[in-house]
Amino acid sequence: MSSMVNAIMSFFSYSVLAIGAQNVIFTRGLGLSSGLRMINDPKKDTMYFCAFLTLFQMINSLLVYFLRPVIGFTPFARYTRFVTPVLIVVCCTVSYILVVFVLSIAVKKSTFKRMIYSITSASINSAIVGTIIFTTTLGLTLVETVGFAFGSSIGYMLAMLLIIEGERKIRHDLVPANFRGLPITLIYISVLALAVYALTGHRVAL
Amino acid sequence: MDRKTKVKRELANWDDTVRRRKVLLSNPVFIKGLALAPLSVAATTLENSLMLSIAVILILTPTRVITSLITRRMSVPLKTFFYPLTSAVVFGFAYYAMYKAFGTWPLNMGAYLPILVVDPLIVKNFEKTRKESFIYSIINGLRNTAGFVLACILLGTLREFLAYGSIGGLSIISVKLLPMARYSFGGFLIIGVMCALWNMYVNIYHNKLEREAAGYELNG
Amino acid sequence: MNKTSVKIREQSHYDDMLLALLPIILCACIMYSARVLLVCVVAFLTARIADVAMAVIRKQEIDTSDKSSMVAALVFCMMLPVSVPLYIVVVTVAVTVVLGKHAFGGKDVYPFSLAALAMCFAAVNWPNQALAAVTPMTKVSFWSGAAESALSGASQIKAGGLPYVSTINLLLGYHPGAMGSAFILVILAVAIFLLVGKRITWHIPVSFLATCAVIAVVFPRIYGVSRFDSLKLELLSSALIFYSVFMLNEPATTPHNPKAKIVFGILSGVLTMLFRYFGSYEIGGCFALLLVNATEGFWDRLFSAGGIFENSRSFKAWIAQLGLNKKKAVPVTAGNVEIKKAKKSAARKSADKAAGSTDAGNQLLDIISAAEDNIDQVEFTTRTIDVKQALKELEEKQKKEGR
Repeated sequence: MSSMVNAIMSFFSYSVLAIGAQNVIFTRGLGLSSGLRMINDPKKDTMYFCAFLTLFQMINSLLVYFLRPVIGFTPFARYTRFVTPVLIVVCCTVSYILVVFVLSIAVKKSTFKRMIYSITSASINSAIVGTIIFTTTLGLTLVETVGFAFGSSIGYMLAMLLIIEGERKIRHDLVPANFRGLPITLIYISVLALAVYALTGHRVAL
Repeated sequence: MDRKTKVKRELANWDDTVRRRKVLLSNPVFIKGLALAPLSVAATTLENSLMLSIAVILILTPTRVITSLITRRMSVPLKTFFYPLTSAVVFGFAYYAMYKAFGTWPLNMGAYLPILVVDPLIVKNFEKTRKESFIYSIINGLRNTAGFVLACILLGTLREFLAYGSIGGLSIISVKLLPMARYSFGGFLIIGVMCALWNMYVNIYHNKLEREAAGYELNG
Repeated sequence: MNKTSVKIREQSHYDDMLLALLPIILCACIMYSARVLLVCVVAFLTARIADVAMAVIRKQEIDTSDKSSMVAALVFCMMLPVSVPLYIVVVTVAVTVVLGKHAFGGKDVYPFSLAALAMCFAAVNWPNQALAAVTPMTKVSFWSGAAESALSGASQIKAGGLPYVSTINLLLGYHPGAMGSAFILVILAVAIFLLVGKRITWHIPVSFLATCAVIAVVFPRIYGVSRFDSLKLELLSSALIFYSVFMLNEPATTPHNPKAKIVFGILSGVLTMLFRYFGSYEIGGCFALLLVNATEGFWDRLFSAGGIFENSRSFKAWIAQLGLNKKKAVPVTAGNVEIKKAKKSAARKSADKAAGSTDAGNQLLDIISAAEDNIDQVEFTTRTIDVKQALKELEEKQKKEGR
């Protein structure tokens, strides 16, 4: 019973850490290019993108957690650090194929067509790869890995919502011409990142 | 081609002009907003910027060339698989080569070298349906690489100077002008300001061409 | 209220804010020496020069009525210690005005509180200088700012300690701290002046302070004292009351709808205490305010006309379109019709008063009832009923029919 309580506490504490102090966008800057391109692409839906990002984050974190030790039994054991990105990409691809296959059967064609634009870029981006590399480097347990992965994707979604809300306020022609678009968005994000920094108070380890 | 024709052609096909000039007019970082994660968090010193630049030099063009050959007839979902896989394999070899050449220096970059594998700078094209020829992939790859390297070195130098008062580890001034430049939010701010300055440069260049063209019109 | 009167109101807001800051600056001069004036003048001039420079660069008219930058600069100064080096003030104010205000479009359209942004910028870049505290009534060098530093009450609490300051000294601001954010009695007097003059409203300060108080009482972090003393120390030894009056009421960065203001205040309070408890800086309020400013537009949209929380009817419509309302379309029976008629006649009486004509009111209610029936029966709809619009359409219809 106490081990279950410990596991739940561990899950929540790592989730909260990943949402706040170690926010994937504001603290670590991961997935920002993909996110900004997603916001500006009319074919992509933010909620689908974030939902699929969460799904892929969880699946891929688990896959990498269980498959990474297997590298130790292959001829590439000495080169684990250099082969890990390949493993992550393979896991992302497998999960992408599975999810696309299930969705193509389960949902209507029109809905699937709308979803596919978001699935493609949500399946593999630096937010997912970076989070998995952090969890493997830190040597987290299974529960901690799942908690951190879950918190990362929720933190990504919250950050994206804040950025989209901000886009409403900064997309007008009162902004100087040279600042319109990417520059003012980055300055806006820098202020939010400054606010989140107060929770960590120190430079994050790479 | 004389200057007058060149100016007219550049103005007439301004979008193409911008797209071709990937180092300055269409810089992948300051205009397109690619590779923001490693630049904002990891490129805090000239040393780190050099590491990132070397990694991109070793990964970007080979990835584009290989994928242009393999994925010629593939649909977008399949490209989603092959682009990052190719870049991951190329990265593995490049990372190992950097480790052998520079020791633990590239390892200090943490996760910000491996994430280049899936960064839109490297795998941007998998969503495009237009097929890329072998020669075009080499030229475009080199142009994008040059644009990124220029942005990376500039940013790393500027951030190190503002945050530490040094360049490449050599102390220039004893005062830290902007200590927050070493943090991620400082990186976002500096990249944002650099983007605005870059936009200003592009507009100035465009206006200069227009004035030149108008001058040619007046003179006949 | 038309746009011109809104603008005049907002400009009067900044004029009165400047007036309200004068007694605080005066008290700071008495407590900490004339250097307070030097710092304020430097900040004021830097803000004005930055505004003028940006107007020249952008080839716009120099707006002499825009005082938002100056107010922000002075509010920022009041949160700094008197020993702060002048270059920090100049750089911070200049960067804040240029990048925090003009880069976002200038007057009235910047998204973040300028004073909070300035304080966060200074705290992150120069924490030792910006977050220092000076003991009142001690010698301070006029030009360099060299002074005997001390630990502020907020820093002591952050470090797990207990500030030994009497209640009267807390209220008078006679303890180590920033220049002007600790004079509780003066700030409260100024707040009353601003409230009476309708330059600020009670919604945000009350909801903010109430939230902070509840959290301080329910989750005290100061040990060895009663909950009441913990509450007293949390509220009075830091700049919470100063934030609630001067920073949380900036017209450009706070909601306009009263209900939205209350939610804004509560959220600010929660995040402020979160940052104070778990963050790295004792000025958690400034950092929290930046995050809450980012959500300002969202609350206004939710609670204003057309938003889902505009009133109970719009909320019900939103629930209905989510499909959470499990009520099925009820078949019309004699009993149902009687109940509906009774409800309509009760509503009719109040609508008569509003419409001013029994016949027009009946027709209006028919329109409303028909629309309401539609909402109950259709699974997904985002329609909400705008009574004023329906009345206007009814009047136009009557004009066409020649009534």
